[in-house]
Amino acid sequence: MAGSTDTDTTPDSTRSRLSGSQIRLYFYDAATYLVYALAAAFFMFPVLWVISLSLRTEGAVYSALNLIPSDPTLDAYRTVIDSGILGWMRNTLVVTVVSVLGIILVTTPAAYAFSRFRFRGRRTLLLAVLGFQMISPIVIVLPLYDIMRTLGLTESHAGLALLYIGLQIPFSLWLLKGYFDTIPTALDKAARIDGCNRLQTLRYVLLRPVMPGIAVVAIFNFVLTWSEFVMAYTMLGPAGQDEYTLSMGIYLFDTQLATQWTNIAAAAVIGVVPIILFFVALQRYFVRGLTDGAVKG
Amino acid sequence: MATERTIEDSSLGGRIRRTVSRSTVGDIVDRVVSRPLFWLLPAVLFIAVFQLYPMFEVFRMSLTDASQLTQGESYVWLENYRQLFNSERFRSTLSVTAIYSASSIILQLALGLGLAVAIDYGVRRGLRGPLVTRVVVLSAWIIPGIIIGLVWKIMLLETNVGVLNNGLGQLGLDIVPFRSDPDMAVISVIIAGAWRGTAFSMIMFYAGLKRVPDQLYRAAKVDGAGPLARFRHVTLPQLKPVMFVVTILVTIYSLNSFDLIFALTDGGPGRATEVIALAMYKTGFDSYQMGLASATAVVLLVITLTITAVYFVVFDVSEEI
Repeated sequence: MAGSTDTDTTPDSTRSRLSGSQIRLYFYDAATYLVYALAAAFFMFPVLWVISLSLRTEGAVYSALNLIPSDPTLDAYRTVIDSGILGWMRNTLVVTVVSVLGIILVTTPAAYAFSRFRFRGRRTLLLAVLGFQMISPIVIVLPLYDIMRTLGLTESHAGLALLYIGLQIPFSLWLLKGYFDTIPTALDKAARIDGCNRLQTLRYVLLRPVMPGIAVVAIFNFVLTWSEFVMAYTMLGPAGQDEYTLSMGIYLFDTQLATQWTNIAAAAVIGVVPIILFFVALQRYFVRGLTDGAVKG
Repeated sequence: MATERTIEDSSLGGRIRRTVSRSTVGDIVDRVVSRPLFWLLPAVLFIAVFQLYPMFEVFRMSLTDASQLTQGESYVWLENYRQLFNSERFRSTLSVTAIYSASSIILQLALGLGLAVAIDYGVRRGLRGPLVTRVVVLSAWIIPGIIIGLVWKIMLLETNVGVLNNGLGQLGLDIVPFRSDPDMAVISVIIAGAWRGTAFSMIMFYAGLKRVPDQLYRAAKVDGAGPLARFRHVTLPQLKPVMFVVTILVTIYSLNSFDLIFALTDGGPGRATEVIALAMYKTGFDSYQMGLASATAVVLLVITLTITAVYFVVFDVSEEI
């Protein structure tokens, strides 16, 4: 229970008679541990189970409930890799990296402008950007397909990256603008007196303090783009299998390629492991960005 | 540079020098970069092409009989909407979306708040486990939605491969038709959705809890408030702004759910789990009825915006914005 912390009582007290408030405290501690255990079980078990399934022989999938397979094999991984999953992963990586770089290149100057300039229509424009953040891309997927086809951007990784940049700008812009707002304008003034124009001010003075914000935008968009399915499926769908992204390929595996659950499980594991490792390594920044950017209470 | 120029302006020589210096590259750059448009142009262009124009387009297309199969289109005005609201399929889609979204919002907010409180408590008390719990829950959230759908499909298989049915079988119970029974399928989709979405509300609530000043709790304690009273009268009111943001965002995500359901049930059995986004996509890309699909998208958008507007009134955030 938040706020029930009794700072004056320590849990390792060895007094023979426990006071009422201490007993209550132990009870809350125990309940909290129970919540942790249940949460860990609920949120980890499905992933562990799929990993377990991916390591089994086809005969062993029907049998035991134990998580550690009795006769582990990498056959499923071999099948999945032969089907070209590494190529899909490479496509995903290319699209993701290009998108993330593009998002940063486009939103950093815009966030700077919203934070440092005062111009007519600034507030309206900001609110419009916020409004687009409220709209799910799925709502506009039909016209987007027409636009992409007209521009000749379907069936192309570059086209998909451009689309991701367009869709991710509102969120990233708001987050970065928030970061710029936290940097004192005294820095700008000092740079101005030293003869910097605005471009030089951003490049040599503001870029360093805003870097944590850029990192958060990069991490966040990396995860979002890596996982994205609907747009990739729609825009790359008509292309050959070799052009697919990871999510698309794994979906294809389920619907068309695979007949065996071990293979589907192996494909899912290959799709999940890199992004989880990426996330666990960087989750501190990720959480900070999410909580700083989205809640301006 | 700018200051120099204004000082020199007073003399004739300065005026001449100004015309010269204005033509230098450095000065031109200086003038360009002091206009906000220079900085905003790329972002504005991207938003115009990939968000603003498609938004107009989806409204416009919803008034036409556009189709992927035939060239050209003509305006049928509200005919698509009339057809939509008269169709059995759309009504069922609406009610599935309502049930799915309402359950998801309640479940994800409640679980998220519970976990956030447990993690915040653990951190304040110095218990072991808050960080691990946080990372585990968040991991579920960053897994691609399409893979979450597949993972749960594997979990819920109606043979011995499905671990849940395998377990139930060993307890001597019958197979549960998690995905083939219409009602069970809806529940399965809601639970898989909560597995994915709870992390988001958890982390937002946790951020909100961290911001509640300790003095407030101490003051409430001095006033004789017990833990529950403190939660009710200190924590919850302090969480109101966060609650507002989280509720809006979770509502938007739930109403627009697509990939997880697409992989887990594909809207089946029958249309038992066909939410609006799924129906819209299939109408557009499988049946090629772009006009009708666009009308569906517009209805989805209007529902989302209406509910958001209702939240603004219910939460009464006017004094906080």
